[in-house]
Amino acid sequence: MGKKSALTPALIVIVGLLTISPVLMLLAGSFSEGFGTFEGFTTAKYVEAYTDPELFGILLDTSIFTLGSAVVATLLALFLAYVNTRTDIPFKSFFGVISIIPMMIPHILFSVSWVLLLNPSNGILNRYLMGLFGLEKALFNVYSMKGMILVEGLLDMPIAYLILAPAMSAFDVSLEESSRACGAGGFRTLTRVTLPVLRPALLASVILVIVKALASFAVPSVIGTPGRIYVLSTYIYRIIATGFSADYGLAAAVGMSALVASICLVYLYRYLTSESERYVTVSSRGFKPALIGLKRSKYPLLGVIGLLSFVLILLPVLVLFYTSLLPYVMVPDAKAFSLMNWKNWEEVLRDPISLLSLKNSLALGLGGATLGVILSIFVSYVIVKVRTTASGILESLTFLSFSFPGIVIGVGFMWFFLRTPLYSTIWALLIGYIAAYLPYGVRPLSSAFVQIHSALEESSKVCGASSFTTLRRIVIPLLIPGIVSGWILMASMFLRELNLSVVLSRPGTEVLAVQILRFAEDGLWGRLSALGIIMILISSALAASASLLGKSLTKR
Amino acid sequence: MEIRIRGLTRDFHSEGKRIRALDNVDLTIPANRIFTLLGPSGCGKTTLLRCIVGLETPDAGEIAIGDRIVWSGEKGICVPPENRGLGMVFQTYAIWPHMNVFENVAYPLKCRNVPMKEIRTRVARFLEFVQLEGFENRPATKLSGGQQQRVALARALVAEPKVILFDEPLSNLDAKLREETRKELRKFLSGLDITAVYVTHDRVEALALSDLIAIMRAGKIVETGDPRRVYFRSGDRFVADFIGRANLIPGKVAALEGSHAVIETGIGAIVGSNPRGIEPGEEAVLCVRPEFIRTAVTGAAGDRNLFLGRVETLLFIGEAYEGEIRINETLVTTTISPTADLVEGSDIRIAFDSDHCFLLPA
Repeated sequence: MGKKSALTPALIVIVGLLTISPVLMLLAGSFSEGFGTFEGFTTAKYVEAYTDPELFGILLDTSIFTLGSAVVATLLALFLAYVNTRTDIPFKSFFGVISIIPMMIPHILFSVSWVLLLNPSNGILNRYLMGLFGLEKALFNVYSMKGMILVEGLLDMPIAYLILAPAMSAFDVSLEESSRACGAGGFRTLTRVTLPVLRPALLASVILVIVKALASFAVPSVIGTPGRIYVLSTYIYRIIATGFSADYGLAAAVGMSALVASICLVYLYRYLTSESERYVTVSSRGFKPALIGLKRSKYPLLGVIGLLSFVLILLPVLVLFYTSLLPYVMVPDAKAFSLMNWKNWEEVLRDPISLLSLKNSLALGLGGATLGVILSIFVSYVIVKVRTTASGILESLTFLSFSFPGIVIGVGFMWFFLRTPLYSTIWALLIGYIAAYLPYGVRPLSSAFVQIHSALEESSKVCGASSFTTLRRIVIPLLIPGIVSGWILMASMFLRELNLSVVLSRPGTEVLAVQILRFAEDGLWGRLSALGIIMILISSALAASASLLGKSLTKR
Repeated sequence: MEIRIRGLTRDFHSEGKRIRALDNVDLTIPANRIFTLLGPSGCGKTTLLRCIVGLETPDAGEIAIGDRIVWSGEKGICVPPENRGLGMVFQTYAIWPHMNVFENVAYPLKCRNVPMKEIRTRVARFLEFVQLEGFENRPATKLSGGQQQRVALARALVAEPKVILFDEPLSNLDAKLREETRKELRKFLSGLDITAVYVTHDRVEALALSDLIAIMRAGKIVETGDPRRVYFRSGDRFVADFIGRANLIPGKVAALEGSHAVIETGIGAIVGSNPRGIEPGEEAVLCVRPEFIRTAVTGAAGDRNLFLGRVETLLFIGEAYEGEIRINETLVTTTISPTADLVEGSDIRIAFDSDHCFLLPA
């Protein structure tokens, strides 16, 4: 009993240190002179930040970008969820695949692949279409607000789908049927019954995508910056990463508004999801709503979905692989194929900084995920099994980092580490990663703990097993699926981490995503693609071996 | 093995309030009997069971299983559940989902370091006993509720404990399966030299299964006895009402007639058995079960235990009518033959069987 009562406060201290301290340091930093010292309380940085006429334009662009991405992602997800749950479309298991794509392709690589396809000077798709129709100018310039919204919307679509699909399948069809019985047509039923009932879920989806887009750095930096479109995240990056001296005080002052907006939105999201649970009418078990027969529109629809999956999964990987084999970006033709070689790969594998970033990212992925999962096990145990007021505090602390825009909290961590020996070490990155991605480990582990009903442990004890045997034979085996999925999630997030890393990574602690960003800034597309493919391969290999290991452990 | 419980007390604290789940309980559970703890929810029966197993720590008192004290507040003894050598069937069965049937049942033997060869033969024997032979490799998640219940029983029995405990094991089965399982369970247990402690809130289950029943209320044991005794000779108003349907008619004892007594009630004088020896002049309650009220009797008003009334309500429930009969201001519930020629509002003559109605203290 004594151990248990010490565990909760200890975890509150650890998690609080991880999630609250960067916020406090950000706050303190924003009221400082701005050179890594806290001497002298001043509001000078706020005055400087919020009187800059440029900020107004940036806030406007940020709003357009986040709202636009949210609308694109939600509409796409609504379409997919509707087709999947309510029609007799074949290959339904495919929809599950679409929902896990963000696991497979890092956002920065996805953004780069769209630059390679649609940039105005030598975008492969643009060039191809120009040749096809004999055009003088590129059809589509990806370096634009439209391009940013399109790519961010596609990237965030799975998040919207994960919210909308369960709401859609829990939807009680008799609500629609009674509307039809009252004499309303199909369209009227859709607009007057179906969509209003789904409104909380739709709003929740829009809000969550806005939060994600607000935190997004890959799309604004790879696509927005070359087109001179800045949003909050890239503006903060510009303040700290360019010019003669990085002004962390100014960055903190600007970042505070992003942080506050994000936290407010996440609270609104939580409120709405608790609301939507009340709204959604779950029908009795075994009840399957009548599916809409698609008849002739089945194959066109299937074509649309096939194209979407191609665009989301295959195309980026193909474009990257293709580019990695070429000396410069060109349309696939006979000449291109004659020029193909492995030069980019060789250069990347000989480049000391690329190799260092590979080593650092691997170490952070393996070590960080392992430490993160261990912490998540204890945190989830306290949240699910101890259930006191203190464990409620722990839960709020843990999920606080869910609302952190990565680059902003990176600035907070910068202030935190500046005066410590951890500054500019790989440990700074490790701590930052675990803090920012703790919910990714705690989610799957809490649901694993929920499944371990206390009677399962009690019956083991009555059967004659000691506490240790019960832990080894009952609790751990039942936790393994949660441990594995938590580990895979954290490892793949850490391997591709960009938002925190652009702030915390220093010479010597380069990581993969930052190195890819450098290649993009220098226009070294071939090397970038080679390194990107290596990153995807490592990430998939880690996920595959972790799930194999998990399977063999549960078998025994 | 006999289980002896002395002065057992257990408090729960919730929202600043103290709830006494067990209030100074004294109880002796005799060896090799099926002993049921019966009571409404929240009466402390499950807490008592969990204290015996060791999953709950009492605040005071003593528990001994056989000659061994497993918990004593005074002597500071606390044997953990794994060392008490008991078997238990949980309400949810607690079948481990990551193991198959064989692994679930073999678990207690593995914990006792029994050699693998013997484990195989013993698991096979007990799976046969619960009629699950051939299910060894079935994953636990692929079992029906009834099968899970049998696996749980086999697992609780496999290490051949001297005591087995059941926490409402039939409450998750549907009504029909519950009746069958009840019969089987009685057969299984009476074939073994084992003390069974069974917790339930279902009076029919308790009556059908048990050798002895203890009825609990608000953390206390109100009455203990064999099923016939608690049904026919209860000394407690709450028990008489809880254990079966009952008409409880208050009155005052007028005279004694050997083992019987005359009680003056709102509907007149009634003769009933007086197992508790209540003295004339004392307040008492007469308990009559609906099935022991005879209808369609001949005789005149003023005959002993014969009353005239009017049928107030009449419900046809298949095997019988359930009738409410008004005599003066008192409503009496009776079971009437389904072939009786009656309608609501009919006049009716009813008679109480003086050997099957009994007096208990008010």
